[in-house]
Amino acid sequence: MKRNSIFVGLLVLIFGLSLLFVSGCATDQAVKSETIKTDAIQADASMKDILADETAKSKAGWVAFQKEEAARKMLLAEAAAFKDIQFAFDRYDLSPEARNMLGGLADWMSKQAGWVLTIEGHSDNRGTLEYNLALGERRAEAAKTYLTGLGLAEKRVTTISYGEEMPLDPANNEAAWAKNRRDHFLLVLK
Amino acid sequence: MRKTISFLIFSMVFWCSSAACGKVYIDINSPAFQKFPVAIPEFRNLGNTEPGEDLSAWFADQLSRTLNITGFFKIISPDAFLEDQDSAGITVGEIDFSNWSSIGSDFLVKGGFSYDGKNLAVEFRLFDAIEGRFLTGKKYWGKSEEKKVMVLKFADEILLALTGRGGVFDTKIAFVGKEGNNSEIYTINFNGSDPVKITAYHSITLSPQWSPDGSKIAFTSYKDGNPDCYIRDVVSGTTQKVSSFRGLNLPASWSLDGRKILMVLSKDGNEEIYIKHLGSGRLQRLTDDRAIDISPTWSTDEKRIAFVSNRSGSPQIFVMDSDGSNVRRLTFQGSYNSSPCWSPDGTRIVYEGSSNGRFQIFSIGENGDNFMQLTFEAGGGESPSWSPDGRYLVFSSKEDGRERVCVINANGLNLRVLPGIKGVESFNSPSWSRHLDLY
Repeated sequence: MKRNSIFVGLLVLIFGLSLLFVSGCATDQAVKSETIKTDAIQADASMKDILADETAKSKAGWVAFQKEEAARKMLLAEAAAFKDIQFAFDRYDLSPEARNMLGGLADWMSKQAGWVLTIEGHSDNRGTLEYNLALGERRAEAAKTYLTGLGLAEKRVTTISYGEEMPLDPANNEAAWAKNRRDHFLLVLK
Repeated sequence: MRKTISFLIFSMVFWCSSAACGKVYIDINSPAFQKFPVAIPEFRNLGNTEPGEDLSAWFADQLSRTLNITGFFKIISPDAFLEDQDSAGITVGEIDFSNWSSIGSDFLVKGGFSYDGKNLAVEFRLFDAIEGRFLTGKKYWGKSEEKKVMVLKFADEILLALTGRGGVFDTKIAFVGKEGNNSEIYTINFNGSDPVKITAYHSITLSPQWSPDGSKIAFTSYKDGNPDCYIRDVVSGTTQKVSSFRGLNLPASWSLDGRKILMVLSKDGNEEIYIKHLGSGRLQRLTDDRAIDISPTWSTDEKRIAFVSNRSGSPQIFVMDSDGSNVRRLTFQGSYNSSPCWSPDGTRIVYEGSSNGRFQIFSIGENGDNFMQLTFEAGGGESPSWSPDGRYLVFSSKEDGRERVCVINANGLNLRVLPGIKGVESFNSPSWSRHLDLY
């Protein structure tokens, strides 16, 4: 910045001298050129202030952003920590463990106003595909009914059934079937 | 195709058609039915030119395969043939039938062809080898590439002559093919030829249902997120979204006039059965129960509907009048019965039921009579669908965790697995078309 202003000053001086040489009203021009020089220096100073200010601000912003990011990550981790709930074959009633989990979820959502929930209902691959779609739907609806019963606003919860189409474990044994008969909870910050 | 092949019945069928002259056909749907033993020696080249490929063996082999697929024929191995094929002819006077009856072949098909470098003329003759009688014959003219169609057409004639009704070579089966968690709709001909991929949504697509004229397939797809119902026009290739309520939009059977379709919707909070009038879009709700009501199927006269409900605790088959009244429970055997399909003759309903931890195909009369188990395979059977003539069932069966599409005769015999499709891991939800204008 400084080098620039010296350069500008020099230029102005040369320009001024040359004007002095050719015309009688050179003095006024030279004074004016001084003003410009002063302006340039002032501008330089104010730029410094702005820069300093910006840096301070962005530092604060960065810290705030870091904090927000950490909080967001924590919320995301919390949101992702709500595990699937399982169901018995051809059933859609909630187990005590499922109710317990849903209680925690309702509590969390009551504190996190911006979040909405999608409940995905799933079945194992035994029996008819269409009936399994209905089972998945019933399982998702059972969880939704329980959550709204705990005071969660209905508009914050949607359900979808995937029936037997998206198994967690594609194997055909009791352990895999038990894993696949589930509700999966998808929390999204709106 | 129908127009390009001209054909001619070149000799009168000895037996006139069924009841009029008291012909009694064997009941091929009976569990006691014994397959028709038939011999099909190589066809004779009746022309002066060589076709450039071994058509003699090709026709015999292709007709054998085709008849074998019907499940009603026992093809006699050529190893057992006694006849000197170089000298024997293809008409009654030229055949020594004892050569055939003595090897257990009750029936004999003989044929010949001539090829002029462009067009093919083929004669087929069916004989009763026991009585030494000509039963039926046809001659077809067409291009060389139409020879497969000629074989299908004569196989149809053989079925007509021996059973009083033609076959289902002019039908297709629609089903779902799965690749990972994605699934698409496919169709394939009854004989396993010509697989066609109908959808390519890279999503979950389910439950194909043929319209009665075969021009459309209704199905459900998650391609826009929700399980919405679509109708694909398989002729024009266009697709229309017909139902997209929140929740399930599942198509079931179509009415015979193609103007209504049974549907399952869960828009009002739980799964209920509706009739959708396709012209006006009007919905007519048939069930009103807090239980799951799903998988409706019309009786042939459309006066009644069989469906699945768990209103008595577990999924069972129920029957109601087509306006939703007069609901009664049909199945009482087993704790899980679903996926009903009403037979074309209206006499029985097939469904899948759990039996010793597996799902198998059962059938039952509308009044709960004639209960019987049709499949006993280790892989079980699910989602049965009738052929339009009521002689076959198609269903899915599990093997090594993968599902495949199988066809059995209505008496439960003669299981045939439809060929796989490259890149597709698993197949389910087969739906049989009615007769189409294929050939």
